Amino acid sequence: MKFHPPLFSVTACLLSCSLLVAVIAQTPPKKPEPQQGMGVSTGAAINYSSRRTIGINDPKAPLIFEDVTDKTPLAAFKHRSGGPQKEYIFETPSSGVAIFDYDGDGLPDIYLLNGSTMAAMGGKEKAPRAALYRNLGNWKFEDVTEKAGVANERWGFGVAVGDYDNDGHADMYVGNFGVSRLYHNNGNGTFTDVAEKLGVARKGWSTGPTWGDYDNDGRLDLFVPGYVDLQLNALPPSPGEASKPGGVGQNFCQFRGVPVMCGPRGLPGEGDTLYRQKADGKFEDVSVKAGVDDPQKYYGFTAAFVHVNEDKLLDLLVVNDSTPKQLYINKGDGTFEEIGYPSGIALNENGREQAGMGLAVGDYDNDGRVDFHITNFSDDSNVLYHNDGEGNFTDVTFQAGLGEPTIPFLGWGTSFIDFDNDSWLDLFVVNGHVYPVVDENQWGTSWAQQALLFRNLKNGKFERVAAAPGSALASAWPGRGLAVGDLDGDGRLDLVVNNIDSKPAVLRNTVAASGHWLAMRLVGDVSKKTPRDAIGSIAYLTTGKLRQRIDLVSGAVYCSQNDQTLHFGLGSATKVDKLEVVWANGAMEVFNVPAVDRIMTVEQGKGEKPDPKSQISNRRSPP
Amino acid sequence: MNNLRILAVLVGLLVFVTSASFVRAQDPATVLAGAELSRVVPPGFYFQGQSAPTQMRNAAAVRFGTNRQVVAGLVDTSGYAADVRAKYEGFLITDSPITVNGSELGIGAYGFGFSDDGKFGLLDVSGKEVLSTATSKDNVLKRPRPLMMVKAADGVRLYSGRDYVTIKVR
Repeated sequence: MKFHPPLFSVTACLLSCSLLVAVIAQTPPKKPEPQQGMGVSTGAAINYSSRRTIGINDPKAPLIFEDVTDKTPLAAFKHRSGGPQKEYIFETPSSGVAIFDYDGDGLPDIYLLNGSTMAAMGGKEKAPRAALYRNLGNWKFEDVTEKAGVANERWGFGVAVGDYDNDGHADMYVGNFGVSRLYHNNGNGTFTDVAEKLGVARKGWSTGPTWGDYDNDGRLDLFVPGYVDLQLNALPPSPGEASKPGGVGQNFCQFRGVPVMCGPRGLPGEGDTLYRQKADGKFEDVSVKAGVDDPQKYYGFTAAFVHVNEDKLLDLLVVNDSTPKQLYINKGDGTFEEIGYPSGIALNENGREQAGMGLAVGDYDNDGRVDFHITNFSDDSNVLYHNDGEGNFTDVTFQAGLGEPTIPFLGWGTSFIDFDNDSWLDLFVVNGHVYPVVDENQWGTSWAQQALLFRNLKNGKFERVAAAPGSALASAWPGRGLAVGDLDGDGRLDLVVNNIDSKPAVLRNTVAASGHWLAMRLVGDVSKKTPRDAIGSIAYLTTGKLRQRIDLVSGAVYCSQNDQTLHFGLGSATKVDKLEVVWANGAMEVFNVPAVDRIMTVEQGKGEKPDPKSQISNRRSPP
Repeated sequence: MNNLRILAVLVGLLVFVTSASFVRAQDPATVLAGAELSRVVPPGFYFQGQSAPTQMRNAAAVRFGTNRQVVAGLVDTSGYAADVRAKYEGFLITDSPITVNGSELGIGAYGFGFSDDGKFGLLDVSGKEVLSTATSKDNVLKRPRPLMMVKAADGVRLYSGRDYVTIKVR
């Protein structure tokens, strides 16, 4: 037999190629890389020897927040939300809180929403009442609920403050499970529910609303997210009926193998509603026309009108539970374009949908663009989105140091707060679980949980502030709503937490090492088509090389309302080099700031407004 | 000479067989979108005595050749159930024999789960494990999604976030 080199070569090549293909086909799959410490959806069950959400304190830590609840009448407020076993989903998320000056006396007041019970919904017992506490100064409060007429007596979830009729008195929208309310401030210490009359008596499950003038006509409009489409006469199975056929013992309503309340996944969601205010003061539902009706029916919790880009049009962010977040960019023609996915904000950096609850809005890195912090379920981290400009966001949670420390916690209300007035926004988060059964298991988490305060390290990173024993940070609450405001006018921001099935927590800021500060109230010119309460305006304050930005936002946090007085920490600076206000109508104005450590009122087109109600701080200068 | 003919025939057969399987393995894969995707994704999936609705936003499908499909989707299991989701979070339906990371999988409908410890498990509709394989992680993927399919040089990748397995038609 003759040897035929070319033929041999072809044969050999084919054989070797076949072998190679076979070898490749049999190569075992690449070994997975170790799990990175990045945000994940709810993970697999892990047992811990101790809880990581309570009892963490440091004897060397300074006192920062003092719990003064029991020194106030707010200690008598008892929140109620269904039964203690939490058999149904509407018993678990619960209510927000607002800090706002309802009577215009210069002192921020407190409005606490309440939940309800099945028996109350059925008329078999008295409904729990919301409560309004008038701030009398020096940490004294008066319960004025009855006189003000704001007891709600419906299952309250969200509250947003906005002077919708531009009469100079702050009104509030209350999102209920049932029919929502619009409390018009009559200017005499009383409110009237005008929701039906004005066309905003939304039915269903309304959560965290937001006011904003999206169409730049000088009148506030209203957005209300919807959560779950739940009918009381057709409830899903409950854990108490776990063993029944079709009960949660036989379905997916389990947490780590233990039957729990069903939802939100698996339950029908509810769309969202945008109400546009017409010239006659009534509202029309423009949700579909504007493209924000949420046809996917995601489980909406918290929303905020806010300027995401620099085009002078108010955009809209909606934080949804267990579904993607929605970012609506205002196109300027009465419609919005939803860019959640391409913007990077719909999901976390690993492409996971998260159980979004609360929303903090603020420029934490002082780069002139607004960033977002969003709270999530336990076994998952909260998430920090850095605004890269032009509608792009990057999840920087773990780089910022906010990943690992937040994983055991189930977060709700969150707010950026410069607690030490060093000119850099810190971060506060209240926590609490939705499943009471977590206290019966060693899952590393708990029903009541400590709040978290993260100090801004001024380099894009945060660190958890240690809790002094006995301080508010060392306490554990089943937290939900949160509101920030300087309740005593001392230039240090205080907090109120609405706790489910409990009394609230009033936290007095007592930080010793605090910088100078400047607080301001903005008054818009309605004739120039800026809402009178200036919602949607932005203040930029420059001291030296630092330029801070604060947006005047309605809603956010988690179904709650921060005081709309803008608060700037100035650090060691004793003078402000520049104060710029970009009003809601897009006009920019520069104001002179003759002194700091005070509250000033700035009126569009007229400069600083003498305000006898503005209290000059009697606090000593910082060390 | 006879030996040469035999060798030529053998080579011809080998070329035919190799090229035939090569062509089959190279059946063009098309990741479906829009109406084509909606047409093949079922609205819900039965698994272990329960039917759960499909998360249509998190469904994906690929067509190999002209009429062979692999369809996957996440389902709405209720609540925040952690361990349930790690075991079963979606379905995978194939109307042709395929391989998943090289392991053979027959025609059928299965439940699947991507676990946090880097495993992809396929279960039959009674919950019995059919296949388990390690996942790979794509740390450079831009804008990952909860579930998606992407064509790659080595097949079609079924992604869950940054984790993926590779599907090929047999």
